[in-house]
Amino acid sequence: MTKDLDKSEKIKHVSKSSLKTMRRTYKRNIAREKARIVKYGTRGFSRNIWLSTAATVVMAFTLIILFATVVASVILTNTAELMKDKIDITIYLKPGTSAEALAELTETIKKDPNIKSVVTSTSEEEYAKFLEDNAGSEDIINVLDEEMTALMIDKMQATMRIKVYNIDNLDSIKKLVATEKNFVQNIDEEKAPTYDVNQVEIATITSWARIARTGGIALGVVFLVVSILIIFSTIRMAIFSRREEIYMMKLVGADKSFIRGPFLIEAEICGLISGLIAATISYAGFEFVAPKLSRYGVDISTISNVLHSNRLVLVYLVFIAVGVIIGRISARMAVSKYLNKA
Amino acid sequence: MILLDSVTKKYPGDNEPALDSVSLHIEPNEFVFLVGKSGAGKSTLMKMITKEEIPDSGKIIIGGIDLDYVKKRDIPGYRRRLGVVFQDFKLLPRRTVYENVAFALEIAGMSGKEIRKTVPKVLELVDLLDQAKKFPGQLSGGQQQRVSIARSVARQPKILIADEPTANLDKLTTEEIMGLLKKINDFGTTILVTTHNENIVNTLQKRVVTMKDGKIVNDQKNNGVYELSEARVPVRRVQTPGHALKQKKKVILS
Repeated sequence: MTKDLDKSEKIKHVSKSSLKTMRRTYKRNIAREKARIVKYGTRGFSRNIWLSTAATVVMAFTLIILFATVVASVILTNTAELMKDKIDITIYLKPGTSAEALAELTETIKKDPNIKSVVTSTSEEEYAKFLEDNAGSEDIINVLDEEMTALMIDKMQATMRIKVYNIDNLDSIKKLVATEKNFVQNIDEEKAPTYDVNQVEIATITSWARIARTGGIALGVVFLVVSILIIFSTIRMAIFSRREEIYMMKLVGADKSFIRGPFLIEAEICGLISGLIAATISYAGFEFVAPKLSRYGVDISTISNVLHSNRLVLVYLVFIAVGVIIGRISARMAVSKYLNKA
Repeated sequence: MILLDSVTKKYPGDNEPALDSVSLHIEPNEFVFLVGKSGAGKSTLMKMITKEEIPDSGKIIIGGIDLDYVKKRDIPGYRRRLGVVFQDFKLLPRRTVYENVAFALEIAGMSGKEIRKTVPKVLELVDLLDQAKKFPGQLSGGQQQRVSIARSVARQPKILIADEPTANLDKLTTEEIMGLLKKINDFGTTILVTTHNENIVNTLQKRVVTMKDGKIVNDQKNNGVYELSEARVPVRRVQTPGHALKQKKKVILS
């Protein structure tokens, strides 16, 4: 009998035309539907105020942790870079090396691509600097008569202070200083360049900078994943408690988008509010901690510049966007789980 | 209006089929009781009609639509053509009575103006206009079922199916609900009700279809009575596969 029915083109035709009519007569008005979704989403947020509050608090908390991770990473990297920048290599040249000779040596060494900057100082300039450094020390100033001054200038090495881009790779500079004719002639044999003097400090700072950079990124990624999981679980729990509602809506003939919509709006409102709260708390927290960090020589300039400019608005927008996006994705995934069941 | 032909459904893991070659033909404007013990297959049959379940074999034609042609994307639209009343009401707990009824109209794409006009009328029909702003949790079981009925008839469906609509209600409320369903039937809606309640079946004296072990064992066309005891079940007319279809085909093809 079923076979007979399959053959029945009439039944097929009636069914198909009925379905066609059904689709055609469904007066879908996207704008109206969206407005209703927003209405029920906002109402849902306020009617489920406890769950909404819990989700918002968790989301705000995780956003703050995320911000703290990013800030810590930036500050650590900047501070390490700052410290590295303070380190220079000093090459001591024979006392009395002329300014012209120093200029020539500068030209020679600058050919190395690792050289960032070179500052030279003749014996006279070194003496002037010595006086400046000891201006408060009367015992020293008092013994510096003309004869003593001339003797000191005669003994004081001219210097060449070099800053490099990559402190880990000084081989080419070492080789140049040791073999280049001008350097060989002018270098002071009694006082060796300070490549090795700061080696331990340089190594420590370099490794810290590396850890800060890679560790910061890794930590940031871990926190981002953990944050998403926490927010996702919170929203999923909130939606789990309402899975029956989803099932009911399906049974009475609601479209998936109409069922899903209000849940997405609720999660987006959570994201928006938590973004605002987290940005405000993070800003206030940074303002509180920043002076203390500065006192320890921590470089907070990058973050401080961002927060004390028009870009603060951008920071708020990023917070809100992250909250809204994570909320939306989590809600969508959680609702889909129950939407596809019934 | 409702046609099932040799419908069989077996759930994975079960030894016996939930529906075993069931054939049933319900005419437009009929009021039919589907009775049977728990596990007889009543709920499965209802789920077949709402397309919550798909038969392993057989045909189901509802309101002229062969459900084989109802694709996944058409299911919401198809369900909007039916009125469905559940034993546990299935109301949206976080929406008011008004919003629950309005929801059925909103998903059908009705405008706000039409909804504002229709909902009060439907609530008046079920005598709940004064409770419109309350939430389901603030209502009695009978009132909740009336909201459920209001929601299901708001779109004026041609078919209304009710799965044990009075199972959780007291005698007086049961009579009230059945009176309401009868009133809706009088307006021209085809009604299929599953129930355990002997009194309401015997009082209303409508067509009674009895199910047992996934089969229809009795079909009393008029003035049917509730007879579940195995000894007393008079097998007056057990439909053979294709029987329902033969009758329906005449209607469709004419």
